[in-house]
Amino acid sequence: MTTRKSPRSRPLTPENRQRGTAGSGAEDLAETRLATVFGLKQFTQRPVRTLLIKGLAGTGKTILALEILKAAGKGKGAYISSRVPKELLQAHIPAMKETLDKQDFLDIRLEDATSVLDFVMQLTEPKTVRTIVFDSWDGLAKELDQKERLRAEKTLMALANNSGAQLIFVSEEPGATTIDYLVDGILELLRVEEQDRAVREFIIHKLRGTKIPQHKYLFTLLEGKFTFFGPYAIPDYSKMGKFIQRPDIDGSYSFGSGALDRLFGGMIPGSTLTIEYDENVPHSALRAIELPPIINFLSMGRSAILLPLPGANDERTNSILTKALGESAVADRLRILSVVRTSDLETANLPKSATPKEIHELVTRETTSLREKSKDRSVLLVKSVSALENLFASDLDSLLEVTSQEIITLAQSHDAHILFLPKDSPIRSRILSMSSSYAKLFVRDGTVLMFGVKPHTGVYALQHLEDPTSPSLTQLV
Amino acid sequence: MSSSPTTSETEDFPTTFANAVHGGLDKVLGQSGAAAVLSHMKMSSNLPDPAEFHKKLLALFGEKATLSLERAIVKDLVRRLKWALELLSIEGPFDFSATMHRIQKGVKA
Repeated sequence: MTTRKSPRSRPLTPENRQRGTAGSGAEDLAETRLATVFGLKQFTQRPVRTLLIKGLAGTGKTILALEILKAAGKGKGAYISSRVPKELLQAHIPAMKETLDKQDFLDIRLEDATSVLDFVMQLTEPKTVRTIVFDSWDGLAKELDQKERLRAEKTLMALANNSGAQLIFVSEEPGATTIDYLVDGILELLRVEEQDRAVREFIIHKLRGTKIPQHKYLFTLLEGKFTFFGPYAIPDYSKMGKFIQRPDIDGSYSFGSGALDRLFGGMIPGSTLTIEYDENVPHSALRAIELPPIINFLSMGRSAILLPLPGANDERTNSILTKALGESAVADRLRILSVVRTSDLETANLPKSATPKEIHELVTRETTSLREKSKDRSVLLVKSVSALENLFASDLDSLLEVTSQEIITLAQSHDAHILFLPKDSPIRSRILSMSSSYAKLFVRDGTVLMFGVKPHTGVYALQHLEDPTSPSLTQLV
Repeated sequence: MSSSPTTSETEDFPTTFANAVHGGLDKVLGQSGAAAVLSHMKMSSNLPDPAEFHKKLLALFGEKATLSLERAIVKDLVRRLKWALELLSIEGPFDFSATMHRIQKGVKA
């Protein structure tokens, strides 16, 4: 066993903050990444003194315990390990090396309960230790009979209560044990399958004296750090920054977003990307995929046509685009064509009951006209299938036929095509079979998730951490 | 050191007191907890001085828990001596050291 004097951690100033990668923009401060979820604030302010983190092997318990130790221990913590020595733990989780170096580390693999309790007394008696992690508690507790285990746990609670230290118990026992009834808070970490991909989720079972606005959250262990995802928040467009044009990537059009480019590698000229979405995906999340390619196309001197999603606010879209690009680019080279809006049909001299073919012809006319204004004659067509389905519910075959023609025409002209397709679309499988790439958007625990089916990608949480017009995608690993 | 109940007929007071300390702590903290406390206090084999013992318990567990532990020790001791617990008023806060002296005096008498 080695016990060192713990140096104080660095002060938490903005200068100490580091940005995360993968476009997540996640702060490197455990306090920020953990935020008020599971009452970390309450944990550091002391109403929650004892916490049990449970979950099967490989679910991220140790990383979470270390994150809390980092945030709450503030260099005056201790990590009691019954599983691995310090060097191995640091090798497994390099991101936590500094955290482990700043706390006392007790290796109790060969110690009995009496010695461990004695160690805890040594730590708590001077009343200077803030947080003690037992990883894992059951590794030790399993050696005790039920009554003895309960008494040992009560001893720990009494020691913690008197010293003001906070105790974090890590456990791989899935069922309720004696300690479940003693601790102030219980978190369970899970690894669950979602659409053939593994996602990580934690459940707050109990948190005494703390308001729990949501019981389940998704999280990632990207870069060996625990980062949770709060419910999706609508971006604040008043905080729009200057749009940074993204050039073509090896002959492919950029999505106008680093995160989307990294995920899909850009849009190959003539290709069709279909974005399938669940009914509970917020419109602003879809807009985060819809707008960056349009803005980038226009900023590159190209043209774009948008057939918006049903319920989209065209004025809002226009104002965002104008703010990003200026009035002339939007007025000259963008056409927003709302097929469900009578005025748009009237402007195009189409009857209210226009057929799919007539709409297709209108789009073709507009494309031809905008092609002339495009710097390299390429046009981006962003289209909501749902809007067209609603309009032509009784003639879906014709809609499919013209959509197919459109995909072929766009492919031949080297334009780019993005389709927004609702999950329950009756023409879903036909559209997907014609699409060169295909991504899905859905919501779990309030977080908007996205992954590529064609090409196959991991799952990413969609947030607006930086520019409100561009999505941040953080991989769930 | 055995912590099984015995009478003053077979043990002298210091031994009975030491056994009662083990027994009382065992009852509340469990065997490992009791052993850890005594080891931490370096009193595993020595007879604890009640005043010093009280001070050390207080430092580790605080007032409330110390009261519970001391009450458990007194109860164990009284059981070993076959005394009536009612003779000692330990239901509320009480002075552990003074109570021990009273018991010791009673035994000697």
